[in-house]
Amino acid sequence: MLDVDHVRKDFGSVHAVSDVHFRIGDGTTFGFLGPNGAGKTTTMRMIMGILVPDGGKITWNGSPIHDDSRRHFGYLPEERGIYGKMKVRDQIVYFGKLHGLREPNVSKRVDSWIERLGLSVYADRPCAELSKGNQQKVQVACAAVHEPQLLVLDEPFSGLDPVNAEVLLAVLREMQRNGTTLILSSHQMWQLEELCSRFCIIVGGANRVDGSLAELRSAWPTRVVRVAPPSDSVRALLEVVAGARALARADGAIDYQVPATTDFAELLRSLVAAAPVTGFEAIEPSLHEIYLRAIGETAA
Amino acid sequence: MIQDLGTVYSAEILRRIRSRPFIIGMLFGVLAITLLTRLPTLLEGAFSGGHSIVLVGNPALTARAAPLLADDYKIVGTLASGPIDDAALKHYHAGSAIELSAQQDGLHVLVYAHDPGTLHKEALTQALLPLQLQLVTHRTAGAVTKITRIPITVETVASRFASAGQAMAARGVAYTLLFFLYLLILINSQLVMSSVAEEKTSRIAELLIASVNPAALLTGKILASATLGFLQLAVWIAAAVFLGGGGGGGGTAQAQGDSGILSLANALDVITPGLVVAFLAFFIIGFLQLATLFAGAASLINRTEDLGSITFPLVMPVVAAFIIAIAALSSPDAPLAVVCSYVPLLAPFVMFARIAVSNVPLWQVAASVGINLVALYAIAVLAGKIYRVGMLLYGRSPSLRQVWSVIRS
Repeated sequence: MLDVDHVRKDFGSVHAVSDVHFRIGDGTTFGFLGPNGAGKTTTMRMIMGILVPDGGKITWNGSPIHDDSRRHFGYLPEERGIYGKMKVRDQIVYFGKLHGLREPNVSKRVDSWIERLGLSVYADRPCAELSKGNQQKVQVACAAVHEPQLLVLDEPFSGLDPVNAEVLLAVLREMQRNGTTLILSSHQMWQLEELCSRFCIIVGGANRVDGSLAELRSAWPTRVVRVAPPSDSVRALLEVVAGARALARADGAIDYQVPATTDFAELLRSLVAAAPVTGFEAIEPSLHEIYLRAIGETAA
Repeated sequence: MIQDLGTVYSAEILRRIRSRPFIIGMLFGVLAITLLTRLPTLLEGAFSGGHSIVLVGNPALTARAAPLLADDYKIVGTLASGPIDDAALKHYHAGSAIELSAQQDGLHVLVYAHDPGTLHKEALTQALLPLQLQLVTHRTAGAVTKITRIPITVETVASRFASAGQAMAARGVAYTLLFFLYLLILINSQLVMSSVAEEKTSRIAELLIASVNPAALLTGKILASATLGFLQLAVWIAAAVFLGGGGGGGGTAQAQGDSGILSLANALDVITPGLVVAFLAFFIIGFLQLATLFAGAASLINRTEDLGSITFPLVMPVVAAFIIAIAALSSPDAPLAVVCSYVPLLAPFVMFARIAVSNVPLWQVAASVGINLVALYAIAVLAGKIYRVGMLLYGRSPSLRQVWSVIRS
């Protein structure tokens, strides 16, 4: 269990993090979101023990973060880095050893990660000769070779082509199945929505919303109703729903924003009674919409 | 921590020993040492033409002058009379011709030279003075020798050297060791700096610091560099012994000292266990001070191109220390030398130079080591703070005010 308890971090007069708090249970995949400069990287650095909080505390299984607990953590920072002249295998072995692995265990793990990430062809080549995407996979291997209990990934998908993003997604799903606790920060919302079971959105160094996707959605005040085919009868019926607002037309359907408290079963019955309805959908807000609303870019 | 340190240490050793700067530094050192030890001999051979002379004049007179000039000049020919011109000098491969004539008022000397600057009048006057006295006073050579020979005895007072020759040899050894010290400290500190800069500019620093304690990372790096420094030293000493002046063991220490050529035999005569301990101790202290400072400074840069701008102010004290130490070899008890032998960054060079050529009181050595160990601790704390924060700073380089606030935090 990772407990981030109202942490604060200042850099001189800059308040990078003022009040961030969340708890992550073992084996949870946690989506950590926020606009640029919100304090995500600083918070992740505090979790990793790279920075010390000026206020609040962070504990792992009830104990403060120290060198021993860090040994069970893995981190892929946003600032990607690699020893260009070092060979791929040597680089991953080095980071494995830094995390306490020793031969022959380290070689087996490294070979396994090279295989999983499709790096076998490049294993004995200097990292500088690899494409950016492949270098990023090497960095993922460096962060995860010791099979950490907690893996923190800052923008893991940025710079990856769709094929490599799929490879990484598969690796992360496998780690999920193996019970690894994952913290993911990304602007690729659909990937987070697919992977994460809990989320925290921070703005200006403080929590804005947090919870599971269902909890975040339940707090969302509206839903979108999509009815097909569009007809005047359908439109007339939707117009009289309290708080309803017509949205841009979808192909072969009609979209209306209605309050989340609307009785959708009753609405469907009314629509079917009034017109030949072939499609009806009450669309939940996406993580992307929740995120935009949370950071104040777009009101619901 | 120890495990991390070991991992960083062994990885650094492997990475650095294969790196181009290390190999180039090692080879450059071997080349420089070979040249430095061989150079005096080579120069003596190459530039001896300037002291080759032809004696011109009455054969009886030139025969009396020849032994007096033999110590300072190489007499390549004698002529009873002129003309002396360019062709004659070239014929004898001589730099100059000295024409002697005995007149009523004594000896007259006329010098023909390609380059008038190569033949010093005072030295020639000194050499020919006995002949002048013979001609003016009409005394015999033996009588003149009696007059001109002044018995001079040198008694060493509170010196660690038994003779002037040994003292000269000690200075030669000290100079060589100072040169080693300078190269070792500077090259290896800069390699630490390059290593830190590489990790910072390649942006791998954050991944490293997340994986390993920054103190272990920095310590492992510096210890690896120190180890490679010792390896370099061993190779350089081997180069000095086998490629340099190691073979020339003949002659007395006095003669070796006078000629400026230091042989292995003379060097071994003055290298005491105490001197070796002092060398190693001051290498370790000096290297750790400078390497830690360099590492802290390197963590603040964002581009390798910025290395030059931070290297210059940090190298200046080392260059100054080297120059003061060279001066201290001649005046080890001069007030400036004594003061500088306590000042951090200067002391490793200056105190070592003083120890190499004089009897430095033990309390002074202890005080110097103590002050510099305290300074090393302060530098390590200060540079460690800068390193820990600097490795995570990207974008614009921090201002001095920001660096100061990091140090104070």
